[in-house]
Amino acid sequence: MDLIQLAVPVLLKGLWVTVALTLISVLIGFNLGLGLALMRLSSNAFLAGFAKYYSNMFRGTPLLVQIFIFYYGLGEIGLVRDNALLWWVISDGSRCAVLALALNTAAYTSEILRGGLMSVPLGLVEAAQACGMSRLLRFRRIEFPLAIRQALPAYGNELILVVKGTSLASTITVLEITGYAKRLMSQTFAIFEIFAIAGVLYLVVNLVLIALIRSVERYLMRHEAQSKRVSRPQLDQSAAA
Amino acid sequence: MKLKVLSLLALLVAGTSNALAAEGELSIGTEGAYPPWSMSDANGNVTGFDADVGALLCTKLAVKCHFVVQAFDGLIPALKAKRFDVIISGMSITADRKKEINFSVGYAELANMFVAPKGSDLTGITDIDTLLKSLAGKKVGVQAGTTHAHFLEKRAPDADLKTYDTLDQMQIDLASGRIETAFADKSALQDFLDKPDGKNFQLVNVEIKSSADPTLGEGVGVGIAQENTELKAKIDKALCELIADGSVGKASQKWFKTDISRPCN
Repeated sequence: MDLIQLAVPVLLKGLWVTVALTLISVLIGFNLGLGLALMRLSSNAFLAGFAKYYSNMFRGTPLLVQIFIFYYGLGEIGLVRDNALLWWVISDGSRCAVLALALNTAAYTSEILRGGLMSVPLGLVEAAQACGMSRLLRFRRIEFPLAIRQALPAYGNELILVVKGTSLASTITVLEITGYAKRLMSQTFAIFEIFAIAGVLYLVVNLVLIALIRSVERYLMRHEAQSKRVSRPQLDQSAAA
Repeated sequence: MKLKVLSLLALLVAGTSNALAAEGELSIGTEGAYPPWSMSDANGNVTGFDADVGALLCTKLAVKCHFVVQAFDGLIPALKAKRFDVIISGMSITADRKKEINFSVGYAELANMFVAPKGSDLTGITDIDTLLKSLAGKKVGVQAGTTHAHFLEKRAPDADLKTYDTLDQMQIDLASGRIETAFADKSALQDFLDKPDGKNFQLVNVEIKSSADPTLGEGVGVGIAQENTELKAKIDKALCELIADGSVGKASQKWFKTDISRPCN
């Protein structure tokens, strides 16, 4: 009981860091990933090639290795240390972890979104073109919403992996859940109890995440229930009213 | 056929019951990344003061040494899980650790110091209280699970403590300027100062002895599982003999250029 009183507040401090690491990395990673997916599908061979190699490189190497390269590897290079902005990122463990996590998840996200974008029926795009929609409008109204609907289940998986990936930040002095758990371990030696609590915290975060993704999924698929009755969105609205 | 199976079973049972205290072998858990105490190379060979102490001990006990390399903060859990028989890894004997495992008599004494870049405002300080106070808000490197970490958590709570799995990682961050100072055993820090990375650094002229705080322990001892009293008795006797005849002192001279062996009482 004493142990729980000691461990839980400390691990909860770590929970916020874990959540912050995840949110920031995912925010950056999603945008980068979307950009990479578009580059990959573009007709420009250079852009497509870059996106392809980027995604292969980051998916093909372990996240821990990437974190060590960014933190210890880049930290040794004088050029990085002399550049104020680079050093600002690299000098701090948590910023470095965000960088590695964001670049890593961007690679997976780009593959997931690429799959989603490729699944958009060509007929719909042509129809939008025929209506005179600009490229941007077409993307915003037709391609992206349909692609994200396809990609969401796989992307939810990736989000869970990012949450779990943040635990690796503990290897570069970041005190998130795992970092605090390791510190508590060497103070109390109650390894089983402490890591069990840490595990429960990760589980809770991920269960909340899964519930969120499920509800977004349900929202995006809301047409499924009604599509048999009405087919046009305008009718949809009037029926609701 | 039946007999064969039975004898095989018997062998298996016998094999598991004393897998560790295998006849004539002492398996030793050590960190392998704490020069000059314990260093391991890519082939898994362990050298350093602790390796020498282990070898002396094994010779005395007439057993074969077998080193198991493992991160420092995992040594005590691993000993309790019976991954090896003893810990020889510059581990200080402290009250908290004694609740978990047993220790032999102390075989060496640590002197703890801070290291900082030349010209840092810390380098001019000469007394421990001023030094600990001036750590407030500073990024201080320390190795996870060590007496040094526990000491700073207690005595310098306002310091921004960065904990590392190994001393090597801490030194990299010290050299790159991510941390402003680091706290460790003097011999380990001296090893860093002798490297090219350490040329712009110096020791802060305050030696913090074990007597300064109970978290710093009472000398360095061999960690032994609590239930293993028979082994403790053997190791205590052997260590006392090795300290008395100067073998440990000689090993200390070789690695530290000074005798840090602790007299056996």
